[in-house]
Amino acid sequence: MAKIGVFVCHCGENIASKVDTGNLVKALSDHPGVEICNEYKYFCSDPGQETVKRAIRENNLTGVVVAACSPRMHETTFRKACAEAGLNPYMLELANIREQCSWVHSDKDQATEKAIEITRSLVEKVKRNNELKPISVPVTRRALVIGGGIAGIQAALDIAGAGREVILVEREPSIGGHMSQLSETFPTLDCSQCILTPRMVEAIQHPNIKVLTYSEVEEVDGYIGNFKVKVRKKARYVDMDKCTGCGDCIQKCPVKKIPSEFECGLGNRTAIYTPFAQAVPNVPVIDKNRCTYFKNGKCKICQKTCQIENCIDFEMQDTYEEFEIGAIVVATGFQIQDTTLYGEYGYGKYKDVITGLSFERLASASGPTAGKILRPSDGKEPETVVFIQCAGSRDPSKGVKYCSKICCMYTAKHAMLYAHKHHDGNSKIFYMDIRAAGKGYDEFTRRAIEEDEAEYLRGRVSKVFEENGKLVVRGVDTLLGKPVEVKADMVVLATAIVPQPDAKEFAKKIGIGYDEYGFYNEAHLKLRPVETATAGIYLCGACQSPKDIPDSVAQASATAAKVLGLFSREQLEREPVVAAVGESTCAGCWGCVSACPYNAIEQKEIRDRNGNLVKEVASVNPGLCQGCGTCVTFCRSNSIDLAGFTEKQIFAEVMAL
Amino acid sequence: MGIQEQYRSEAAALLSSGEVKLVIGFGAGSTADRRRPLFARTPEEAQKFVLDAACIANLSTYLVAEGLLSDGKKVGVFLKPDGIRSVNILISEAQLKPEQVVILGYAIESGKDVAALEGRNISDFSIGEKIRKLTPPPHVIEAAEKIEAMSAEERFEYWKEEFSKCIKCYACRQVCPMCYCRRCIVDVNQPQWVSTSSHTLGNFEWNLVRAFHLAGRCASCGACDRACPVNIPLRLVNYRMGKEVRSAFDYVAGENSDQKPVLASFKQDDPETFIL
Repeated sequence: MAKIGVFVCHCGENIASKVDTGNLVKALSDHPGVEICNEYKYFCSDPGQETVKRAIRENNLTGVVVAACSPRMHETTFRKACAEAGLNPYMLELANIREQCSWVHSDKDQATEKAIEITRSLVEKVKRNNELKPISVPVTRRALVIGGGIAGIQAALDIAGAGREVILVEREPSIGGHMSQLSETFPTLDCSQCILTPRMVEAIQHPNIKVLTYSEVEEVDGYIGNFKVKVRKKARYVDMDKCTGCGDCIQKCPVKKIPSEFECGLGNRTAIYTPFAQAVPNVPVIDKNRCTYFKNGKCKICQKTCQIENCIDFEMQDTYEEFEIGAIVVATGFQIQDTTLYGEYGYGKYKDVITGLSFERLASASGPTAGKILRPSDGKEPETVVFIQCAGSRDPSKGVKYCSKICCMYTAKHAMLYAHKHHDGNSKIFYMDIRAAGKGYDEFTRRAIEEDEAEYLRGRVSKVFEENGKLVVRGVDTLLGKPVEVKADMVVLATAIVPQPDAKEFAKKIGIGYDEYGFYNEAHLKLRPVETATAGIYLCGACQSPKDIPDSVAQASATAAKVLGLFSREQLEREPVVAAVGESTCAGCWGCVSACPYNAIEQKEIRDRNGNLVKEVASVNPGLCQGCGTCVTFCRSNSIDLAGFTEKQIFAEVMAL
Repeated sequence: MGIQEQYRSEAAALLSSGEVKLVIGFGAGSTADRRRPLFARTPEEAQKFVLDAACIANLSTYLVAEGLLSDGKKVGVFLKPDGIRSVNILISEAQLKPEQVVILGYAIESGKDVAALEGRNISDFSIGEKIRKLTPPPHVIEAAEKIEAMSAEERFEYWKEEFSKCIKCYACRQVCPMCYCRRCIVDVNQPQWVSTSSHTLGNFEWNLVRAFHLAGRCASCGACDRACPVNIPLRLVNYRMGKEVRSAFDYVAGENSDQKPVLASFKQDDPETFIL
């Protein structure tokens, strides 16, 4: 006979103000199988839990229903309480009468009625619960970090520093990411490369970090603690082990006029190239699409120049390597938005309309102009530079709705760098709001205005056009309520930060969620900001949302803490909520096999006592099963059941309503 | 020699050589315009086969009879393109092994002429392209369009009316080659998901469950329609589901035997219109 204890929590006024808990207790007390029914202000408190435990012991309860908040909040709390009182923790159910009832209803009578129904249905479920035991699985203590920008590097260094192995995968020829392209960094104006390159070197030299550049993650299988990851190492055509990085091949390459991606097209590179001088590893790659040999079958000058035998190998193929991985950190970064969205600003039409990232290259000491801010069109020093903020951000009609977060700061920095290099120059900044929240940030923008005389004009720009060799910027100053026209020599667009173009595709590949733009979703914005909804996969940097360097680094270290927490254990206890196949009725259509996102279902042969094959049926590997229930919903003959959520339980729940 | 004689002798040859243990075809029916399935196990029995424009049933349904193919031996079967399509689906769902089925293919042209289809193995019939272009009979399209033109309320009323006739005889299930489960969901009584009595709710439950179970699997043979003793236009339900699946996933059931079940497989470019 079922002896169920029902415990109705007031959650202070959260539940009690909308649900008549007295009536709820009365209704449930009369429900068949309910042995004891109590109410209390906070059952999650120590005395509350004690009440539950005492009731279990004194009444020999066979099941417990706590009518309170969402199971995501306190299921663990009460499972532990049950276990301490000697009841199998899976004989507990939480009836959610807060999030799904009191918080969303205003009529007390109706809310009470609904709360009674919810609780009753969980009583009917718990009567059919079975005692379950957690499943333990081993943890592979090796992390995969995807993306070798500052976030990925930081996460890798922190994990490796704690003595765990890291595989750092970067798809470009060098690690470093966007940060390596920047000139100085706000709010301290230290040189980006000067602070980044030591980290890059540390990463590649670290005994616990295996850096795979020019490589991409092809497949991710498995689950927390036990991922199997396949990495494609793209053919570089240069042997990583043999190359000394002397650069002779680059010097001699006859294809010299390829616009450099790293320099935002402001400089050129060769077909065999390293993206920048401090590239890590300092091993060139051959751009197959531009190389004369690959195009015409003749050239090989680089190979002839190279003094090491077989170092340059035109026959090289992509190779694949598989890794056993326990945790994955996704740090795939961002791109800047396509500027062609704003035809009226003349990007692409006028050479001197550039993006903020291009300005970084102009201002960078290692850039194409060696740090001199010069017009791309004629190489002259601009006398007036106009910066247009929110060129894409906060523009629901054409661009993106969100704030790209870093543009206010870097635009102030650009104006500052310009002032430092051209003492007579004028900078004018069109802005919507100056968003400078952060340590030393507001002081920084004030400094740009007060010391470096950046002129801020609050308003939008409607058009940029050329007239008599000048770029005329037509906009409005909303504080004066007047249209303005500025004759400029250069216009810098603070373009929006957007996800990588293949972000959604990649998210699907590795099984994490993303928002409407393609930024990756965290499990909980406030309380689980670096975890994804997929256990064992973590996020850091701008792949989650636009972020500056300090935030990216902080978040990277946070993911490392999560990974190391996971790696502190040898075994992982998993919920025993796994599927099982009813072999007698399984029709062997293998729909579940293809439906299972975790490859947890195999084919199994059923043989009679003489060893003759009777039939083949599906069989779930409980170590791999994540209890998602996809197979259950797919199975037409209704032959699969999920422990903890069996058909009988669900049916009883539904019928109790 | 007409196709009937040709296939009689081919069936007889298959049986006498021992290549197949059984040939499933058509024999004379109870009336002049009806044919009933004939199971020939000897060359003599094969002489009774009839093949004409009245042979419209989809005989692939007999291939999944329990135990028929478990001895590994081959079976010959008379199939129209819709039956070949069914065989493709059954192979892709691991209910048939392609090497066990010898197909005597035929097509009924303009409702009266019967033509032989080239090939004997399922792989000989590259019918993918043809299926894509294939349209259901005009009267089916006409009836479907009429229903599609209705408002949601009218449509609901229409089907309520139609389903109210259902007597839960499950003839549609018995005749359908795709209903090969040894235990159907309606026969599950612990718990009893689908109610057994033939009232409106139970009838809706059954017919909608069946429609969903056939989504992306129906070969449009119309057997359910013909089997229904109370004349519910069942193929219209399946026609509509097929249309939905095709527009959402560019998937036509039974194009080939390598297809993955559409509702149990995932492609990166699958539409996600259900995610709000």
